Amino acid sequence: MNHFKRKEVAFFGKITAGITHEIKNVLAIIQESSGLMEDILDITENGTFPHKEKFIKSLNRIRGQIQRGIDVTSRLNRFAHSSDHCPASLDLNEITEQMVLLASRFARLKNVVLESSPSDPSLIIKSDPVSLEMALFESIEILLNIIGSGGKITLSPRKIQNKCVLGIGYENTVLPEEDFLAKISSTERWASLQEIMAYLGGTAKVFGLAPEILLYLPESIDD
Amino acid sequence: MDRMKILLVDDEHEFVTTLAERLELRNMNVSIAIDGEAALGFVENDPPQVVVLDVMMPGLSGLEVLEKIKAMDSKIQVILLTGHGATKDGIRGMQLGAFDYLIKPIDIDELIEKLNEAVKSMG
Repeated sequence: MNHFKRKEVAFFGKITAGITHEIKNVLAIIQESSGLMEDILDITENGTFPHKEKFIKSLNRIRGQIQRGIDVTSRLNRFAHSSDHCPASLDLNEITEQMVLLASRFARLKNVVLESSPSDPSLIIKSDPVSLEMALFESIEILLNIIGSGGKITLSPRKIQNKCVLGIGYENTVLPEEDFLAKISSTERWASLQEIMAYLGGTAKVFGLAPEILLYLPESIDD
Repeated sequence: MDRMKILLVDDEHEFVTTLAERLELRNMNVSIAIDGEAALGFVENDPPQVVVLDVMMPGLSGLEVLEKIKAMDSKIQVILLTGHGATKDGIRGMQLGAFDYLIKPIDIDELIEKLNEAVKSMG
């Protein structure tokens, strides 16, 4: 990534992180205000507050949505901070879990379940976090675009022949390797993924039957 | 039993006043300050047992206020409020003498537990 692009990404990350703090402050105020309503209801004598049960039900719904808002903004905040350091030491288990949370909505629109299968032990590499997240996201999008509705995409970091690999596999069909490669290599996203992987010093390959995209990554982007 | 004496410090006025009301309903004696300077004024004139202090504030930062409070009266316990992704501030705060830190938005029961622990630790 060139210097100007890096500055752009850092700018975007900083503004987004700042805004997520603001949103969290709003959520904190809503949370305390609804909490105060609950406190007041708790000290109200039985039978003196009309429709108390409906009120409690509504407050529970607000509480649930606040928690949802906190989860979403926390994910966005963590994502925005990805651009803080480059290169950075990255735990591939953490980065796949993060991507599952960020991309689940895109998968859900195609009734696809997105999940991660962590490696044991964790694999740590030195890389560009934003570009690695982009590579993962592109891989997920490629699969979502060529598959039908339903099924499951699993992100699985692992070692293959002593190399760090991120696997993005789809479990609902079997597809001969040639067909899989033919389907994805005609897409613009595949070219984009190749470009990102070249920048990261790695390669993107496909493994048929499963079918699975395999991202081979160097232990250090400087290698 | 004496009421626990708390000072809440946060520049989000709506947040701090609502939280104060909730703690008062739990029989605590709560004061509020919306910046570091005002907080230090409280500590000097009417010292609380525990200060609940937001890290990110305009003017004096929470960590700067923490250092000043500890210099004024090391017995006062401080619980920091940090944002998500800012846990390093919480850890830095504990190195500077904070009792503990919580991530905003906070859970009231967790805050009360921490307040009780903080007061207990004062002996």
